[in-house]
Amino acid sequence: MQRRFTLATALAAAALIFASLPALAQTQLRVFSGGQNQRPDLMRKLFDQYQKANPGVSINIETGGGTSELQRQYLSTVLNAKDSTIDIYLIDIVNPAQYYGAGWLEPLNAYVGEPSVALKPYLPVYATSNVVDGKVAAMPAFADAMFMYYRKDLLEKYKIAEPKTWDELVASSKKIQAGEGRSNLQGLSIQGAPIEGAVCTFLLPYWSQGKDFNDASGKLTLDRAAASRGLQQWLNMVDAGVIKKNVAEVKTPDTVNEFKAGQVVFAINWSWAWDRLNDDADSQVRGKVGVMALPAVAGGKSATCVGGWQWAVSAFSKHKAEAARLVKFMAAPEASRFLAAQGSLLPTSLAVYTDPEVLKAAPWFKDAAKAVVAGRSRPMSRDYGQVSDVIRTTTSAVLARTKTPDEGVGEISSRLARVMR
Amino acid sequence: MKLFDARALRLIAAGLVLINGFFPALWILLSSLKTEAELVSKPISYWPQNPTLANYVRAFNDQPLPHYLLNSALVAIGSTLLSLAVATLAAYAIARLNLKRRQLILTCIVASSMFPLVTLLVPIFETMRTLGLLNTYTALILPYTVLNLPVCTLVLVSFFQGIPRDLENAAMIDGCTRLGALWRVVLPLAAPGVFTAGILAFVNAWDEFLLALSLNSSAAMRTLPVGITLYQGEFAFPWPIISAALIVAIVPVAVLIALFQERVVGGLTQGGLKG
Amino acid sequence: MTKQGWLDRLRDPSEKTLGLLLLAPAFALLALIVVYPIGRLIFNSFYDLRLSGGGGAKFVGLENYALVWADADFWNATRNTVLITVITVPGALVVGLALALLANLPFKRQWPVRLALLLPWALPLSFAGLIFAWFFHTEYGVVNDLLRRVGLTEPTMWLLRPPLAMAAICLTIIWKTSSFMALILLAGLQMIPKSLYEAAEVDGASRWQQFWAITIPMLMPSIVVALIFRTITALQTFDIPYTMTKGGPGNATETLAMLIHKTTIDYLDLGYGSTLAVCMFVLSMLVTALYLRRVGQSA
Repeated sequence: MQRRFTLATALAAAALIFASLPALAQTQLRVFSGGQNQRPDLMRKLFDQYQKANPGVSINIETGGGTSELQRQYLSTVLNAKDSTIDIYLIDIVNPAQYYGAGWLEPLNAYVGEPSVALKPYLPVYATSNVVDGKVAAMPAFADAMFMYYRKDLLEKYKIAEPKTWDELVASSKKIQAGEGRSNLQGLSIQGAPIEGAVCTFLLPYWSQGKDFNDASGKLTLDRAAASRGLQQWLNMVDAGVIKKNVAEVKTPDTVNEFKAGQVVFAINWSWAWDRLNDDADSQVRGKVGVMALPAVAGGKSATCVGGWQWAVSAFSKHKAEAARLVKFMAAPEASRFLAAQGSLLPTSLAVYTDPEVLKAAPWFKDAAKAVVAGRSRPMSRDYGQVSDVIRTTTSAVLARTKTPDEGVGEISSRLARVMR
Repeated sequence: MKLFDARALRLIAAGLVLINGFFPALWILLSSLKTEAELVSKPISYWPQNPTLANYVRAFNDQPLPHYLLNSALVAIGSTLLSLAVATLAAYAIARLNLKRRQLILTCIVASSMFPLVTLLVPIFETMRTLGLLNTYTALILPYTVLNLPVCTLVLVSFFQGIPRDLENAAMIDGCTRLGALWRVVLPLAAPGVFTAGILAFVNAWDEFLLALSLNSSAAMRTLPVGITLYQGEFAFPWPIISAALIVAIVPVAVLIALFQERVVGGLTQGGLKG
Repeated sequence: MTKQGWLDRLRDPSEKTLGLLLLAPAFALLALIVVYPIGRLIFNSFYDLRLSGGGGAKFVGLENYALVWADADFWNATRNTVLITVITVPGALVVGLALALLANLPFKRQWPVRLALLLPWALPLSFAGLIFAWFFHTEYGVVNDLLRRVGLTEPTMWLLRPPLAMAAICLTIIWKTSSFMALILLAGLQMIPKSLYEAAEVDGASRWQQFWAITIPMLMPSIVVALIFRTITALQTFDIPYTMTKGGPGNATETLAMLIHKTTIDYLDLGYGSTLAVCMFVLSMLVTALYLRRVGQSA
């Protein structure tokens, strides 16, 4: 009786060990890949490809909140608790410096090479925003930039060429608005709500004057007069009736919804807007949309804000080497080509912009390439959370006319001077 | 003539209460039947032009809404029952027993609600992780119980204090233990308070967001409030679909309230204000 | 005195033992869930713990508290929070009491009125904020639409003018929380014996007199309970202003809880965030200590 018991136990134990062996050999990677707009469905397809090529790895996707705020909330809890469940996460282009400073991500030099080598294939803006202290903090997933969308049909109707300066844009808008005679036709739609996009609203006219917000070491180099002029430019447009009065309420989707409903002539928005404007069933402007680089201030250069998302390996991951390999795969040009062709996500390296497969799916990328290459990244700072908060709330307040441009710029200057030293 | 006035006033009053309570819910319901384009039309439309159930279909397709409902229900019911049990015992001790530091004890319980949850989030997360409870129902039931403890305890204390002692004393003379008296005499008399505390705890647990986002992040254990935020994207805020999901979230609670409001208002004492 | 075995004491407990037993579950839960977090919070408030600096903690004693004292943003947030509290607590009480009295009237079918009473409480807080933000939207909001229909042609930019934004926020909070108050007060109304009203009627008291002489005094314990929690949550107001205005324009509607959230999550300044949280606790404690003494005394 006892012998049978021992034998049975031994067999059971052996069976258990054999059954769990594959599980032991398999590495489980958990990827936090953001919300809807970061296309977890496409990422899943890429992960499946990787899993097929690497049978020892299984990948789970984790989605946090839908917006970057909620994602920030979730990630900050998990990372503050030094949790090891998430191996890889997708962060915004403005986050690598902050996450590196907080000790939340693992520098990838050992896995992908030194920055000059690892980031060479990508757009120049990523070489700056993903490298902190000579360490590769994150690898690019997909790019984004702000474009000027406009009503091709209306510009043709009034025989107006694509405006190259803001003054030309204002004149064009006024002509079209007067001609159409509709009271609810907006000349230009920009985002004035205190969202991340408002940082771009502040920087676009500022950069266009050829100014820099900070120097290479991260020190604040704000030209207060130029910044004031930039904000005043928007306010002048409100006074001229080109931008609507409650611009400080406008968020990114609002611009697109209003453009779709035919209520807008010019609109500044990210690359996602193109598909929405042209493909949505309820879009009244299908086939009537043009896209161009942003106008410049008189005597200045066109400047646009670059966005995009980056893959980072968690500093608390228990499978760093394996995670870094996956990151390398997800950042490779092949992955970028896949995302561009399947999801119209802007590619991260110039070569992919002219890839025939990509151009077939998104012909407008050919023109987009120029704008993205010339795009600039927002200030890289370990305190980006604070930098962004100050700029966006102050810009929104100025656009709501509760502060004058000078007061707003003064506040930005004094608050950030302490932080960006 | 006097009677007519009173009745008319009562109806107006009822009308006001109904508008106050139902208007936003009605708005959400109507929005859930519209398309997104309709929501930016000017002037605004109240009634949907072409009512459609497409948003509900999308809501259920894009996310496992019934699953979230189940998770929310289990967590909310669990924490409500636990809250009521723990709070009843504590409230009885504070209200009835001659404990020396009653005031201090009550203050401590209430004080635990004076810290903003966002600052307690990371340590609570760490605790749950250490206990291996992340992504379980327990991970949420325990904190929710603690979050609801102050309200439930204080409500029950005030209700227990309002019940004359003679009834319990009579029961105890008849051979009941203290706990027996609590169960058989005090609780039935304090039923309005118990059901009120229960409803408050349930709704608080049902709607809680921050802890649910952080502790139960896996899709299998996600609760409704967190699930609803996933319809949004970085750039998309599909009001119609979110409205549909909100209706799905509100209806169970509304049904619950409708069922239990009798219990809140129809106590066993001779309650009731003359109309 | 005979020595009682602990088992005997369990079966026939003295008041003190019974008290400990009854309070044990509550304290066990509190110990597990909040004591460690609160302890860590207070501990962190004495450190300079900014993650942007690499995450290392530096002991600074009371320096954080001195910084708070000198911080204009803190005082701005405190002022906004106190304003919201002072407006919405009495506001919710008055509206809640009215709703509770109305819901208590004898209607043929009680449940619609009672459901209408409690429905605002059932709507998740953050979505209530989003919906009311939509109601107050300059172009797509119901409020401006109704105003337009009565003749005001210039749409008011509710959420872009600090006083109007504050009013909109307070209105939303009152709408939501009067439901909470009404629930507690409605239950309290049930505990008032009808006989009191009948006796007063016989004595010739008018309804108004009955209200002040019977209803209010008998309802006082419930009122105090409702006020305590309404006040505590008012001081912690976060979701509604956050979803309606994000604290804007500028920081005209930023509350203390929003400042703490921003400091902790966006600025990653855990030390200072903890300090602010402790200050908020002290504020809450001061205000509610007065209430609590009242509740503890009545027996």
